[in-house]
Amino acid sequence: MSNLAKYKKTLYDVLAIPEETDCSSLERGVSQNWDSVGHIALISALEEAFDVMFEIEDLLSFKTFDQGIEILKKYGIMFED
Amino acid sequence: MFLDLNAKKTDKEAIIDSDGNVLTYGDIIAEAETFSSLTKPRSVIFVLCRNDVGGCLGFTNCLLSCNVPLLLNVGMDSALLENLIETYLPAYIWKPSESLKSGEVSIFESYGYALIATGNEVYPIHDDLSLLLTTSGSTGSPKLVRHSYSNIEAQARNISAFFEIDETERPLLDLPIYYTMGLSVLYSHLFVGATVLVTDKNVLDSEYWTFLNDNQVTSITNIPYTYELLYKLRFLNREYPSIRIITQGGGKLKDEIYHAFAEYAQRTCKKFIPTYGQTEGTARMAYLPAEYSLTKTGCIGKAIPGGRLYLIDENGDKITEPDVMGEMVYEGPNVTLGYALSPEDLALGDERHGVLKTGDMVKMDSDGFFYIVGRKKRFLKLNGHRVGLDECEQIIKGAFDVDCACTGTDKKLMCYVDEDSSIEEIRRHLSEVTGLNYMYFEVRCLDKIPRSSTGKILYSSLNKE
Repeated sequence: MSNLAKYKKTLYDVLAIPEETDCSSLERGVSQNWDSVGHIALISALEEAFDVMFEIEDLLSFKTFDQGIEILKKYGIMFED
Repeated sequence: MFLDLNAKKTDKEAIIDSDGNVLTYGDIIAEAETFSSLTKPRSVIFVLCRNDVGGCLGFTNCLLSCNVPLLLNVGMDSALLENLIETYLPAYIWKPSESLKSGEVSIFESYGYALIATGNEVYPIHDDLSLLLTTSGSTGSPKLVRHSYSNIEAQARNISAFFEIDETERPLLDLPIYYTMGLSVLYSHLFVGATVLVTDKNVLDSEYWTFLNDNQVTSITNIPYTYELLYKLRFLNREYPSIRIITQGGGKLKDEIYHAFAEYAQRTCKKFIPTYGQTEGTARMAYLPAEYSLTKTGCIGKAIPGGRLYLIDENGDKITEPDVMGEMVYEGPNVTLGYALSPEDLALGDERHGVLKTGDMVKMDSDGFFYIVGRKKRFLKLNGHRVGLDECEQIIKGAFDVDCACTGTDKKLMCYVDEDSSIEEIRRHLSEVTGLNYMYFEVRCLDKIPRSSTGKILYSSLNKE
């Protein structure tokens, strides 16, 4: 599975989003289930899936689908286009 | 005047929000005068609020103009809101201007909020009635708690006494103001002439930390879940020199977290003050003085000034010996008038006469400190918010053709149904209607919901976890 697919699957699973949703529009505080409770669950799931440990600043600034990719890149996760 | 607001320095900052709005004590009085000139007194007014200056004004405007607000979350489920409006027929609604629907015309706008006249007539309500809060905002129950003017004033005075707060305080208010404990932070600090820093950002938003760091915050007040998050965010590794008081309510903190915060407070010369309360007691009823926070882990402490706590047994007799479990009873000037289920009930006077059976099962130690052991009533506190189990059963039965039974712990609501085809939909529905994350709900299928011969659900035979 590509890293992008893995990232999307984690989002779908943790936030309980129907598969047909356009995940690029997901936004914390706006999208269903992506509240503070969902965010902590998402962070834990991503840390496990990609074997990384987020810095607090990254955890706080992670608010959209795209920002998640940018942050994971900082931890050496490659996203092939 | 309410909270002696006209006795404060008019140019003193009263409320600052994280959008950059600033309101002085003089502004509060001036805003209320305008509001008063546009509304009929003794109206029921729905205040749909966010944690910002405009939301706080909804509260002060209503109280200062002798109107009675019902404070609600602006984000509450629209069907539940409609139901409340149809039940209580408010004469006015105060809500963010951007949430105005087509056809709604505002008669006054200020700080991003609009006042709307609904066309409903003003109906008779009791002279002592000052404020309405929901018992369970998330399930939209029409059961409201009726507060008197003296409830709020007594609570403001007593809270400020045990926290030892004065006009130099700058509390951070991120708990919702439609929630009893959040609201108590607002009025107790306005009472002493302090500056309330209000935000609807939470600890996982970088704006929260900017707001906290830029404003010399002197106290934080939160629920157990937020303290768990702060712990994970390594809050305890930093100093925050301006913070004097860390206080907690809204449920029981895990012992490990409780101890970590108590130790941190001692190390950094702050006070850690756990509290206990309910909407029915106008927020706080007990607190643990900071000097005991390391020796009495998990304790809710003693009654607040002006109040009294004791335990009763099944026959209603007082328990005097220590270490015996009983239902905790609170007596004090902050015990609310009673409930309302309909507009007619708003004409009722004081039905409790200062005595409140809390529904919490409690033990007292030999030093006279109280410890919560369990709960008598059928509700959970999910993320600090009360969720009625019977109401959740009604919500499910109203939307799905199933029999169901709800139980659970403060970690998760467990819903048992007799039909496995819509388990995921039920879970999603509960989450959507209550506005709480779906992780707080689990739905399981049984062949049959266990019932007694008289048809009562046998909750004791259902697994709570």
